[in-house]
Amino acid sequence: MIAWSGRKKALMILAFIGPTLLGILLFNIYPISYNVFISFTNRNQYHPNPDCSTFLTNIIEPTCWPMFKESSGVSTPYSIQTPAFQNYINLVGQLFTGTGLLALLKLAICFVPLIVTAQVNKYYDRRLTRPVSGIGVWIIGLLITLLVVWVIDAAGAIASLQTGSDFFIVVFRTVLFVIITVPINYIFGLALALVLNTDYIKGRTFFRVIMIIPWAASTMFIIMSLVWQFFFRDVGVVNQILKVFSITGPTWLSIPTVAFGVIILVNLWFSFPFCFNIILGALQSIPADQYEAAEIDGATYWQQLMNITLPLIRPAVVPAIVLSAIGVGGFQMFGTVWAITAGGPSRGAGAPGATELVMVYAYKQVFQFNAYAKAGAFAVVIFIFLFFMTLYSLRITRITKGAYE
Amino acid sequence: MNRRPKTLVLVFQYLFLVIMTLFALYPIWFVILASGRVGQRLYTLNLLGMFIPTAFTFDNYQIMLAGQQHPFLSWMRNSAFVAGFTTIACLLVATSAAFAFSRFRFYGRQAGLILLLAIQAFPGVLSLVPVAQLLTALGLYANLWGLVLAYVVGNLVFTTWLLKGYFDTIPIEIEEAAMIDGCGPIQSFLLIGLPMAKPALAVTALLAFMGGWGEFVFASVLIPAPDARRTLMVGMYSIANNQSVPWGLFAAGAVMTIVPVMIVYMYFQRYLIGGLTLGGVKG
Repeated sequence: MIAWSGRKKALMILAFIGPTLLGILLFNIYPISYNVFISFTNRNQYHPNPDCSTFLTNIIEPTCWPMFKESSGVSTPYSIQTPAFQNYINLVGQLFTGTGLLALLKLAICFVPLIVTAQVNKYYDRRLTRPVSGIGVWIIGLLITLLVVWVIDAAGAIASLQTGSDFFIVVFRTVLFVIITVPINYIFGLALALVLNTDYIKGRTFFRVIMIIPWAASTMFIIMSLVWQFFFRDVGVVNQILKVFSITGPTWLSIPTVAFGVIILVNLWFSFPFCFNIILGALQSIPADQYEAAEIDGATYWQQLMNITLPLIRPAVVPAIVLSAIGVGGFQMFGTVWAITAGGPSRGAGAPGATELVMVYAYKQVFQFNAYAKAGAFAVVIFIFLFFMTLYSLRITRITKGAYE
Repeated sequence: MNRRPKTLVLVFQYLFLVIMTLFALYPIWFVILASGRVGQRLYTLNLLGMFIPTAFTFDNYQIMLAGQQHPFLSWMRNSAFVAGFTTIACLLVATSAAFAFSRFRFYGRQAGLILLLAIQAFPGVLSLVPVAQLLTALGLYANLWGLVLAYVVGNLVFTTWLLKGYFDTIPIEIEEAAMIDGCGPIQSFLLIGLPMAKPALAVTALLAFMGGWGEFVFASVLIPAPDARRTLMVGMYSIANNQSVPWGLFAAGAVMTIVPVMIVYMYFQRYLIGGLTLGGVKG
């Protein structure tokens, strides 16, 4: 494609990617800029309307645009706050106090043993013989981590960060959700794929087709989430079954831990077929002679799994894991939670409910409390995090192989 | 790996498969049972009725399709409209962009691709207010076309990446040969790139269609009222969000919404899985 150049080339490229750029500009860049701007103002339910005489407001607020001007309201307009960073100070300000920094430091120390463990394992991998097996190193590493967590009181550090800030409560809860839900999804996917990748199981095609069903249903998650919610209602399926054994079940979804567990269970139902298919595809690409060679050397099933299967499916599976951890099935989970608990059960007025994950919290701030400015600052902080997570995931995965070339 | 294991292990493997099958199937089976029940309850008082059909009627389906209580067919039409035009527009816009990113060499190409993905990381829920305001300014708020616009852009980055990955796997020599014969970039896109990318286009179309068909949050905010203007997901959610839920109707609607999709997914299973992993795009 070097036959043409100069202005003709530029025009041609613009014709090809122009519509995409325009769409991204209108529906991605503009909302981001708008959110950044709003996050410096005091826009909330008391100051919902723009003051169109201000320079920036006039540009960024569609209600100030000529074709639209007459319909703007009459109540007090919002304005830039003094100091401009007030919303951010409310959200994450306590991170920069003495106690906040100390708590952060403590949490950071908890990760040191894990990193050391990974390095030790890498070092052993490069040698011919290893005194301790990989699993053994990890068990020792995890035990040391637990010891460190206990000694420096990580729970206390998290609690001190959470006092007085919804932000950290919600973020820690979401991180907890991701840490639990993603490994569960992939462990079930892996187990299923391992069983169905053998040739002695009868009816493998049947099982593979069945496992597509939740995947298909997950595109209409809102309906299936409502069905799942029904299972755990006051007079739902679970309690109906318990009734047969004359046990009166509680209202499951009003118990915080149960509600959290139900979200994880439903997310498992939606997600495991995808994990299963990704892993099965990776398993099928492993050449059989690898296993034959291992057989001859007398390797057990477990040794083959740890030393052949898992390392070989890693390149295909790790990108999928990272992307689902930061995507709508993990950190940005919204629809399922919204349909099942709507963030509840409540933990007192004003405090976020037990299943209120990041996106649910943000949605409620905007659409129930009209706290636009607060939600704007929240969005910016979350976006910065997700932005760098995305770039990082691109670095560690192969999906940018074409782009990084 | 393919040694036949001990009988005990084999039994456990089958047990695991059966449990996972029940887990995967039961919610759907339950909805099908509930849709055929008399009265508006999702549960029955006899335990057996929760697992096998004791009495099955098509009353709920008739009521839903007749549309006196809920404009189910309008919802379906709206959803099909939105999903259909989203698919078409998405393919038109994303294929050309993907072709350009794959074939042309220009300044900012790599950075652009990565930036697209990173910008897309902005949570959709939080861009709803500005998007709604923008659509109001454009006169497209509470309009299905506005929803199509929002969906197209929402799908754009993923689709572009998927198709770009596929174009990268098509050997460029064919196009180079065509260029020697005097073929321009537009012709090589339309006459060579597009026909060769058919499998990827099919997968992209299916994913884009399903994205538009099943999306909930944007549809619920951007199409506020009246009932007949809603899309399927918002309508179904509004049925189930009342005080006394007509569960039979809800279940009948759910079956009519989900089962066709399931059949399509089962039919296209191989292409779907291949499509998601093709060209190196995972996720």
